Amino acid sequence: MEKTSEKVRNIGISAHIDSGKTTLTERILFYTKRIHAIHDVKGKDGVGATMDSMELEKERGITIASAATYCEWQDHEINIIDTPGHVDFTIEVERALKVLDGAILVLCSVGGVQSQSITVDQQMKRYKVPCLAFINKCDRSGANPSRVIEQLKTKLGHNAVAMQIPIGLEADFEGVVDLVSMKAVYFDGINGENIRVEDIPESLLSEAVGKREELIDVASMFSDELMEAALEDNVTDELLISAVRRGTIAREITPVFIGSAYKNKGVQPILDAVTNLLPCPSEIENLALDLSNNEAEVILSNDPQKPLVAYAFKIEEGQYGQLTYVRVYQGTLAKGDTIFNIRTGKKLKVGRVARMHANQMEDIGKISAGYIGALFGIDCASGDTFVHRDVNLTMTSMYIPEPVISLAIIPKHSAAEVNMSKALNRFSKEDPTFRTFVSEETGDTIISGMGELHLEVYVERMRREYNAEVTTGTPTVSYRETITRLAEFNYTHKKQTGGAGQFGRVAGYMEPVIEEEFVFENKITGGAIPTQFIPACEKGFRKCLGKGPKMEFPVTGLKIVINDGQSHSVDSSEMAFQAAARGAFLEGYAKAKPVIHEPIMKVVVETPTEYQGAVMGSLNQRRGIILASQDEGYICVIEAQIPLAEMFGYSTVLRSLTQGKAQFTMEFYIYKQVPNSVAEELAKKAAEKKKKNVA
Amino acid sequence: MLKKELIFRNPLRLTGHEAEDILHSGGFGAVLARAGLGKTAILVQLALDSLLRSRNVLHISLDDSVKKVCLWYEEVFRNIADQYNIRQIEELWEAAVSHRLIMTFKVDGFSVPKLEERLTDLIEQKIFLPQVILIDGLPFDKGIRESLTELKKLAENSSMHVWFTVRTHRHDEPGLDGMPASLLHLSDLFDIIIQLQPEGKEIHVKALKGGLEACDYPELLLDPSTMLVRQ
Repeated sequence: MEKTSEKVRNIGISAHIDSGKTTLTERILFYTKRIHAIHDVKGKDGVGATMDSMELEKERGITIASAATYCEWQDHEINIIDTPGHVDFTIEVERALKVLDGAILVLCSVGGVQSQSITVDQQMKRYKVPCLAFINKCDRSGANPSRVIEQLKTKLGHNAVAMQIPIGLEADFEGVVDLVSMKAVYFDGINGENIRVEDIPESLLSEAVGKREELIDVASMFSDELMEAALEDNVTDELLISAVRRGTIAREITPVFIGSAYKNKGVQPILDAVTNLLPCPSEIENLALDLSNNEAEVILSNDPQKPLVAYAFKIEEGQYGQLTYVRVYQGTLAKGDTIFNIRTGKKLKVGRVARMHANQMEDIGKISAGYIGALFGIDCASGDTFVHRDVNLTMTSMYIPEPVISLAIIPKHSAAEVNMSKALNRFSKEDPTFRTFVSEETGDTIISGMGELHLEVYVERMRREYNAEVTTGTPTVSYRETITRLAEFNYTHKKQTGGAGQFGRVAGYMEPVIEEEFVFENKITGGAIPTQFIPACEKGFRKCLGKGPKMEFPVTGLKIVINDGQSHSVDSSEMAFQAAARGAFLEGYAKAKPVIHEPIMKVVVETPTEYQGAVMGSLNQRRGIILASQDEGYICVIEAQIPLAEMFGYSTVLRSLTQGKAQFTMEFYIYKQVPNSVAEELAKKAAEKKKKNVA
Repeated sequence: MLKKELIFRNPLRLTGHEAEDILHSGGFGAVLARAGLGKTAILVQLALDSLLRSRNVLHISLDDSVKKVCLWYEEVFRNIADQYNIRQIEELWEAAVSHRLIMTFKVDGFSVPKLEERLTDLIEQKIFLPQVILIDGLPFDKGIRESLTELKKLAENSSMHVWFTVRTHRHDEPGLDGMPASLLHLSDLFDIIIQLQPEGKEIHVKALKGGLEACDYPELLLDPSTMLVRQ
């Protein structure tokens, strides 16, 4: 039975890859009795963790798609979205964070704050998600939670405060001292399910007292009551927790918990913290855009009685058809309701409503405001907003980057071809950063995405889930063409080859535009080109954009203005004007100084300081511009902008340069003009390709 | 055109040096003020002046993160562009930023030998050849003279000049020559010393040494709303 929304927590678990977030989720599900046995991510039992429902995830030990699940703890209902850690899949992380009210940031006690933790943290900041930190793997050799807390402060700028201190570390890690109750907590039993609370060991007492004072100091900034109580030495657990909660929700404090999920230690206290410290849906302000009022921002009320506003944050094609994960922000979404998809304007009938638990499900009658659930058989795309017919609101659209890398895929046999198209259809619906199309030139199917790994994983998924064996070509960078100056055109298309002739003249100019891909403006006066032929002119110009005359890359950033022309009462036709537009385009384009643009990536390398010179050198060799270096003492973070074309295979280079101690993240930044030398090289390649095709 | 306009209009050029760089190779300049008056803003304006003239600027911050330093530049640049109603500043900004490298250090972790090591890395591998160095947040405490002398040699050898921010304190007594305590016995190392002085609601930009001494130039103020220097 559903509780009131005060007892609901929608949380995500975000982290750097291999910090153990899936293991932590697995333990959470076990302790909340959603599963009855623990299977490790790369476990010998071959079952894999519950949240990694895809075959590939189980094998690689990574989480690819966010699986949603829910569980109950201390009378609270917790919806958990497990999020992937690879930067290639950040669209998944971003979607998850958008619908969350709080998060657990999992950090490795050995690796500390790593580059991906920084990316994930930035995303949390963007969506203003309050978070708790869980320093995992305290049983590992080299574990140092204090250092990680320090890094949280210095690298991520969190006001991190320890809520616990460890009892032993590395192989001697036994449990934790809770700084609120000032008790030692041990986790007994095969799966750590039996909690034993004892007095703090003598050897840790003074450290615990000191750390508790620090905690009270930090927390008292958010509660005058606590400050007074601290002065009178009369701090109660409730007072301390409520002050920490206030600071956490305001994103002013990051409470830090420690443990080892793999060794079943410290997981139950983090569940307590989720219920005690993270906000319920009504404590978070969610905004929608009012389409009837010039997209003005509207605060949603989280009231189940008000008109529905829900957001589809994930689409999956499962064995029972399309599954749509939704978060209801206002109103109630119930079976049998009629809802509207605000993007398409289509009316939809709600069929089954379910609550998901990784790849298992449980039918529920309705989803109330503040809850996360799943719908079946609803035709929509991820990012769509569903509303009641009385409202015209849309949730803030998410930033979706353009793909930067492409790969040709060829099915190995005819059976694979059908399966491949099914798979591609599903993937492109699920993931807006994954695109697919057929190359007109080669007839190959091309897939595009955000990085090498991104595409690699989809190719693997095609094989595993759809039995579609494909061979892949070498990845290619998505170059673009654009013009750099205004150029005029005046082209007459005239053909008289017996039968009806063709005649059309199109004149005007083209110029570069910055924020638009293509703009067409008709400034024809006096009917120089009859109105019925104007769309044919636009079509003719548009057709030229797919393959630029310079090097056959797509043309962007172009404005065409037509201001004159001529027609013939008999020989002019749509086809003639399309041909005239094509001719005009070629004429103008040649004069408009066309250039090639390439995707530039923002690369962040995190390296031990001793390798910083070598790393900077390696970035510089790749036509990179080094923007900044942040010296953190033992570690140095270098930021650079580098063309994607130069980044293939960089992970291997970086590994060998730094003995595997450095790591990097990469995300699309901007399209920029390629230098002349590279443009010449590309022209050479294009010419060779043309020759081959002719031969 | 736009670039020239911005360079010409930058009021910092009114410090009495119309042509090219205000400081010569190995020259030192200092911006003095109490905390929060706008030392970094002045430094960033000096940097932008150099960047717009395609000079390579190495900005070293011992206080702020890279992100914060970048924000300073964006803010000051936007304010300059707004002030002169200059549109389509993206290209100009991109061009300027390509001449800038930001390095941040922890105050305790910074030393002249360390900087020298970093500079050697940058110069030898032809990654970045700085022509102007800005050091924001260097504590002017004991032993600083030695470090500064070392740095001056380095700057001379590498044909660079260096600007510093120097924090002054309300309670510090100035020396006989009017120099604030932080720069006492150090002023000989500096060619230009600018001080930000709050007077009522205004912040005056005054020259303690070099540049603005000549009375022919109009008095400069720092506008607290835009953090830009104006007449």
